[in-house]
Amino acid sequence: MSAAHLPALLGGLTLAACLGAAAVPRRALPGVAGAGTALVGAAGVACGVAALDRGIEPIELAGALPLAGLRLAADATSGLFLVLIGAVAVAAGIYTAGYAGRGHGSARTPLVLLPVFVAAMLAVPLAASVTTFLFFWELMALASLALVLAEQRRPAVREAGLAYAVMTHLGFVAVLVGLVVFAAAAGAEEFGGLGEAAAGLSPATRTAVFLCTVIGFGSKAGLVPLHAWLPRAHPEAPSQVSALMSAGMVNLGIYGVVRVDLDLLGPGPRWWGLALLAAGAATAVYGVLQAAVATDLKRLLAYSTSENMGLVCVALGVAALLRATAGNDEPTAAGAAAVVALTAAFVHLFGHAAFKCLGFLAAGSVLAATGRRDLDALGGLARRMPTTTTAFGIAALGACGLPLGCGFIGEWLLVQSLVHALPAGGTLVALVLPLTVGVVALTAGLGVAAMVKAFGVGFLARPRSEEAERAVEGGPAMAAGMGLAALACGVLAVAPAVLSPALGRVLPELPAVTGQGAGAVPAPDLDTVLRLPGTSGAMSPGLLAVGVAVGIVVALAATHWRARRRPAPLRDAPLWACGGAAPTARMQYTATSFAEPLQRVFDGILRPEVEFAVTPYPQSSYLVERASYRSRLRDVVESVFYRPVLRAISAAAAVVRRAHQGSIHAYLAYGALGLVVALLVAM
Amino acid sequence: MTSETYANLLHFAGGLLLLCTVGVVWRHQLGASVRLLAVQGAALAAIPLISGIYHEKAHLLAIAPVVLVLRAAVLPYLISRMVPPTARPPGGWTASAAPATPAAQADAGAPDGPTATRPGPAADVLAGSREPVPLISTSVTLLLSAALTVLAYALCRPIIALDPTADTRTAPAALAVIFIGLLALTTRRQAVSQVVGFLTLDNGIVALAFLLTSGVPLVVELGASLDLLLVVLVVAALTNRMRAAFGGTDIGELQELKE
Repeated sequence: MSAAHLPALLGGLTLAACLGAAAVPRRALPGVAGAGTALVGAAGVACGVAALDRGIEPIELAGALPLAGLRLAADATSGLFLVLIGAVAVAAGIYTAGYAGRGHGSARTPLVLLPVFVAAMLAVPLAASVTTFLFFWELMALASLALVLAEQRRPAVREAGLAYAVMTHLGFVAVLVGLVVFAAAAGAEEFGGLGEAAAGLSPATRTAVFLCTVIGFGSKAGLVPLHAWLPRAHPEAPSQVSALMSAGMVNLGIYGVVRVDLDLLGPGPRWWGLALLAAGAATAVYGVLQAAVATDLKRLLAYSTSENMGLVCVALGVAALLRATAGNDEPTAAGAAAVVALTAAFVHLFGHAAFKCLGFLAAGSVLAATGRRDLDALGGLARRMPTTTTAFGIAALGACGLPLGCGFIGEWLLVQSLVHALPAGGTLVALVLPLTVGVVALTAGLGVAAMVKAFGVGFLARPRSEEAERAVEGGPAMAAGMGLAALACGVLAVAPAVLSPALGRVLPELPAVTGQGAGAVPAPDLDTVLRLPGTSGAMSPGLLAVGVAVGIVVALAATHWRARRRPAPLRDAPLWACGGAAPTARMQYTATSFAEPLQRVFDGILRPEVEFAVTPYPQSSYLVERASYRSRLRDVVESVFYRPVLRAISAAAAVVRRAHQGSIHAYLAYGALGLVVALLVAM
Repeated sequence: MTSETYANLLHFAGGLLLLCTVGVVWRHQLGASVRLLAVQGAALAAIPLISGIYHEKAHLLAIAPVVLVLRAAVLPYLISRMVPPTARPPGGWTASAAPATPAAQADAGAPDGPTATRPGPAADVLAGSREPVPLISTSVTLLLSAALTVLAYALCRPIIALDPTADTRTAPAALAVIFIGLLALTTRRQAVSQVVGFLTLDNGIVALAFLLTSGVPLVVELGASLDLLLVVLVVAALTNRMRAAFGGTDIGELQELKE
């Protein structure tokens, strides 16, 4: 079977999965829908591998859409994203069979739409013309909107759906305007023609296209200040949909930036890179800060998505900035660092997809077992749900960006590119890059705090609610889905070399970042030892893992040996425990109390509404009868950026409303005047 | 029929159409409006008849009686039925003779001569057979009609320049009828007067279609006529409901119906 048949296979499988899920009896529905989704995902992975290998030749489907038709093709860059999204869909699909089987999000419509959503996500990187791209982009948005609204009986879901619908369509309008302006100015509709004509466009057109598309794609990737929908919609969706959105769909925002702004529009001025860098840095810090103080498990993960997309965007911005600095005449340190930064972006996308998919699947498992997402009401799950706890632990380690976690490699590469580019650039680079290092370091630090909170408060210690006390594991299908994602996490953490051949084919396709001619830089060598081109940085996660494993084994053996030599204790007696021998769940840290110091430090940014009231006994004001603490966090960006916009829209609507009096005569007069004016204009 | 006779007859029909339309916006007594509407319908029916005889087109000759029956008889009758029997003149409007001095009566608001036993103007307004104080005064309405007629002639100049025949030269009158019909729709308060305005507008549109396309296909004309009949029937039903619910048919009272 040739590569051209793979998209057809993808479409056929989607159709079959949909029809199957629509037709089978209720009992078999979760299994069929899950298996269908996983198969569509697998077909996507196959497409991606074929595209990475040799690319998929353009396929024209002239009759599929009126006027324009569909045009599908894939190069290695598309292939990379196809593999990424396909793999997430496989894990989420397997998980769905168990999750929906336990009565969560098991209505027929969302399950029928699940394969459609996956297929639309896979078709976006396959699109090779503006019309095709926009068609699948919108299909993806609509399918995900319907999936977010799966549990539409809860008011929070409806509110999230509304916010998502508005934001995603505003983003779509921005992308639409950008691409239509691009296509009109370039006089071409296929991506190939656009790329060839881009160099001849006027700077004003290029800038307009850049700004429109970055705003549109940025809103999909959850960049501040366009992130408002993400922490609402991702937590309220059923968990496998959260995983697909947070680990799959947001990546397509990045794909859009890479495809349109870095690939097709070609090398841009320095401020493009700076703009991406600034947006990414703001997103990373703001996202991780909100994650650190969030008490809702899925909301925390959603903010963490925003944070990681911010880091990827920082990497892309650094790459574009350094490439604009480097020039194409000779190999320079800045050029080499640009390639490392781009590699960091792609590697981090993979790492993030793996740990975020796993994180949401594990959170869904907790939700299925307890019905609670509030960290303050969880705890004590480690003994009751060991598989889920292990899975979430692996995900949290990845999200921390610490060694042996799958988020580490990407962040390490990013920091390496920032550090090694320092001597290369001029004043601007010397000023911006150290600040960026600071941003990445702050993000990593706060990320650790957020994940320690999520894992420690949510899974360890004692249960804080009856639901958490009664929690039980979810079954083999859910465990299998999580296991697959955990396996991906482990492989990416220990052996990033698996990505090496793919990156070796993707990077040369983006000469706008990797440079041309003499200035071209080869892709970094992600072998057992990571070596970076043109710099002295090197690291080996595999050897590190072996070292840590050997260390643990040695330490265990040593303690075991010491324990054997020590004489057995003579008698058991209760220890003196300072009156705390029987700790209760109320004595534990909660998510709120754990995050309270951070909330204090970042009081100026987070602006929490805190109420603290102490009620003393009537006998003495020094004896406290009761103390109540209530803190509420609002998204500051929302109140700063969104309220004025909404107020302006309301004011404009009030002006229009003045013409809208409800008088039939006035409406008739408008119609008559309109006719006369139209006739006058036509004359 | 010579081409000169044809042009004269066509111009005459168009002029009658326009004159009746001006009369419709001038008169506030519903009876007069309905009579004028009937004459207007007859003038409209004359257009396909004349055109059919001159161009020797059978389907136009077939359309003409349909238009005549519908617009000169059926629709005026239906409109007169929209007013309750107590507010109608004893012999019916279409049967009674035209008042001797309509202008003086409309301005003074005096009861019609032959029907002196009928209730006064205030009761007529309540029953829906007479316009209350109009949104703009009669003289302003007539001035606006004149301005709209001039505008219609100005707008049609390119069309006449394109194909200077008797048909296109009559087209401005039809366009003026459309404009004046819209004016009547915009300024009238009673639901019944609204229907009259709407029918005037539709007569103008049909006349324009006959004149500019030299013959609408029979099917299209029949479909449009059926639509019109349904519209009038539905509005008649709605008017009765309005009268039952609010005690009047002043659509100015429907202000609160906005969302």
